[in-house]
Amino acid sequence: MTPTEIGVLVLALGGVFFAVVAAVGLVRLPDLYTRAHSTSKSETLGAVLALAAVALAFGDDLSTVKAVLLLVFMFLTNPTAAHAIARAASEQGIEPWTTEDES
Amino acid sequence: MSDDPVGTEERAPYVESPIIMTTVRIITPFVFTFGLFVMFHGADSSGGGFQGGVIVGTVVLMLGIGFGIETTRDWIGPTLPVVLVGIGVFAFLATGIGSVLLGGGFLEYDVYPIKKAFKYGIEFVELAIGLIVAGVVTGLFFVVAAGTRDTGGDAA
Repeated sequence: MTPTEIGVLVLALGGVFFAVVAAVGLVRLPDLYTRAHSTSKSETLGAVLALAAVALAFGDDLSTVKAVLLLVFMFLTNPTAAHAIARAASEQGIEPWTTEDES
Repeated sequence: MSDDPVGTEERAPYVESPIIMTTVRIITPFVFTFGLFVMFHGADSSGGGFQGGVIVGTVVLMLGIGFGIETTRDWIGPTLPVVLVGIGVFAFLATGIGSVLLGGGFLEYDVYPIKKAFKYGIEFVELAIGLIVAGVVTGLFFVVAAGTRDTGGDAA
């Protein structure tokens, strides 16, 4: 395997790992805030790492520039969207989940 | 707060979030440019008026989320979406009927006396469609954001 292939593989595996972490958090955690907490960060990293693998795999091409642009905007917008959702929920008066609610 | 049924209480004035504002400021020009790019690409590759129009309409949605929906509604005004849709429909119809008047079929671009009339004709029509779609998306966003409180209001 060439170094490029190894790099693509590592990046793609990292992306898959963080996407799986985000999915597990989305299914297992109890309420909106904890789910936003788990998915926003790890899902952003998963998408960014996968896009980095794509950019690396394209090599010298215009598609690389497009993939890097996509990566940058994903990195900017994804956490902001999560912030906006959590903020809107807080303004609507949704109470965060605590262990006392469980009884 | 939670005692009131939804919609009867006055909403607290919207407080801008610095995080959302910063992102909206950075992203908006790029999204607008990208929407125009997609519209102009309708003739010879993937893309087109509908997708580009939705992306341009998204700009207004982002401004609404960043600056507060009521502020954006006041800024846009009641007539702009309707004017956009009107201009788009008029441009589309003028292109189509104009070719009929010049002796061709509806939207038969080749009768226009310009170079590469087919390509430019398609792109002009895509732009018109983009205007319509952007206006409709903007209007729908404000209608949906207004909720069910005032019944019987129209898009503007």
